[in-house]
Amino acid sequence: MKQETIITFDNVHYTYPEETAETLCGITMQVKKGSFVAVLGINGSGKSSLAKHMNAILTPSEGKVTVYGMDTADEELTLEIRRNVGMVFQNPDNQIVANVVEDDVAFAPENLGVPTEEIRRRVNDALAQVGMEEFQKHAPHLLSGGQKQRVAIAGVLAMQPDIIVLDEPTAMLDPQGRRDVLATVKRLCREKGMTVILITHHMEECVEADSLIILDAGRIVETGSPKEVFSQVERMKMLGLSSPEPTCLLHELNDEGFSFPTDVLDAETCAELIAKELNHG
Amino acid sequence: MAELQVMALSHIYSKGTPFEQTALRNVTLTIPQGQLVGIAGKTGSGKSSLIQHLNALLQPSSGTVLLDGKDIYADKKARREARFRVGLVFQYPEYQLFEETVYKDIAFGPGNMGLSQEEIDERVREAAGFAGVEEALFEKSPLELSGGQKRRIAIAGVIAMRPEVLILDEPTAGLDPGACSRVLRNISRYRRETGSTVVIVSHSMDDLAAVADRLLILSDGTVVMDGTPAEIFSDPERLEGLGLEVPKATEIAMALRRRGIHLEGAVFTHAQLKAAILKAKEDAKC
Repeated sequence: MKQETIITFDNVHYTYPEETAETLCGITMQVKKGSFVAVLGINGSGKSSLAKHMNAILTPSEGKVTVYGMDTADEELTLEIRRNVGMVFQNPDNQIVANVVEDDVAFAPENLGVPTEEIRRRVNDALAQVGMEEFQKHAPHLLSGGQKQRVAIAGVLAMQPDIIVLDEPTAMLDPQGRRDVLATVKRLCREKGMTVILITHHMEECVEADSLIILDAGRIVETGSPKEVFSQVERMKMLGLSSPEPTCLLHELNDEGFSFPTDVLDAETCAELIAKELNHG
Repeated sequence: MAELQVMALSHIYSKGTPFEQTALRNVTLTIPQGQLVGIAGKTGSGKSSLIQHLNALLQPSSGTVLLDGKDIYADKKARREARFRVGLVFQYPEYQLFEETVYKDIAFGPGNMGLSQEEIDERVREAAGFAGVEEALFEKSPLELSGGQKRRIAIAGVIAMRPEVLILDEPTAGLDPGACSRVLRNISRYRRETGSTVVIVSHSMDDLAAVADRLLILSDGTVVMDGTPAEIFSDPERLEGLGLEVPKATEIAMALRRRGIHLEGAVFTHAQLKAAILKAKEDAKC
């Protein structure tokens, strides 16, 4: 099946005003419709700046970004682009605007002038999709971090975007909150066919992505499936990142004379392989 | 010497209003001098409320905290002394930088302690070196710097006060893996070189497993587990029931044990896991 390309970066350079050094230095990439793309890189590698180019919060100093063929530099298209690309940020407290969950979710479509009945339907839908329908009448500030973040995602879904960009959405959450948010994101992609771009520092969150993009000093230095990228354990370390624990463990055991596959990302498969080796070795 | 004793401490937010919420319930514990204590618990379990009592930032609803046997809430002077001796680095401290230059920001705390200019300068340079802030950044505005750099400046600002007790709330949240290990290494080093007591609050069991002598697990305002990492991580079901997780090395060790592989001792770090597997291989040969 040939997938449609919906976001393109063509040799994108970006320098923040009043700075001399480039933050993005020649990014060229495409995002396919319905795919789950994870972006990794150390602090300051340009991940957030890349994300902000996807819905015209930033526009290239040089080069071109298109969303559904629309040039993000064309100000007349900005609203239409933002309707297609929803953004979720790290801190849920900075994204909640209303005192009641359902009002918060309704905020953006109300501003777009969507009719009341339609808004009600979208709000119910969006809250159901993130598993927060029973909290409709709650006050957002009394929710846990993971719940707030899911409300923020619902607020984005109420705009009915095709693409959702999440910039470290789990950095401030506890393990349960992180699991809930990730499960929500995966369901949106796998069941609703949404295109998901996830920026994260947690390698484990990328394991189920279709493709990984690794940024370093404003350049794309690796792309590929999680298995292709994470199997390069030493390369990841050099980039200041790390492969998931099972991959690192098998890699190090291989240095001790074992010969395990290098592209195992999950604990169960890892344990299965080691147990087999120890029982019959 | 700096020993902290938390005595029957309770804290209720918005007491007497419909929003009344109990954050801490009758918590009693002792943190001896020089211990590195990790605190974990899901959101709302009372972690942040607890540490904000350790330097008298929050007023207890009942109970108190003793620093070397002296009540830190006794009077204004005692509270002030606690603020100087117990340094607290908040979650996302980079949002609290406010001076015009990096140097002034790090110097702010010691400046309030009535030290001489030379002494302040010495402390700023020492703390900067410690936290990994290059002197070339001293005259820059903290606002121009990256998130990781800002975090290090904020940590340097607290270190410059040479606290006898250093408390950090989620010091590695939002940092990349390399920066995480650097921060953890520096915290361990501070403890080793100064003999200070250190308390780290974190959601990352991997971080806590790597550095802590002792773990406190909070749930609903009480301490529900208190022990060495080996003790705490020997009960993964209980941790999961509390909304927490075990270190990744422990997860793999559990999966191996379920498959009948005998691994000796507690396994909660990468190095322990690797050693235990190599040992199991040796044993299999015999």
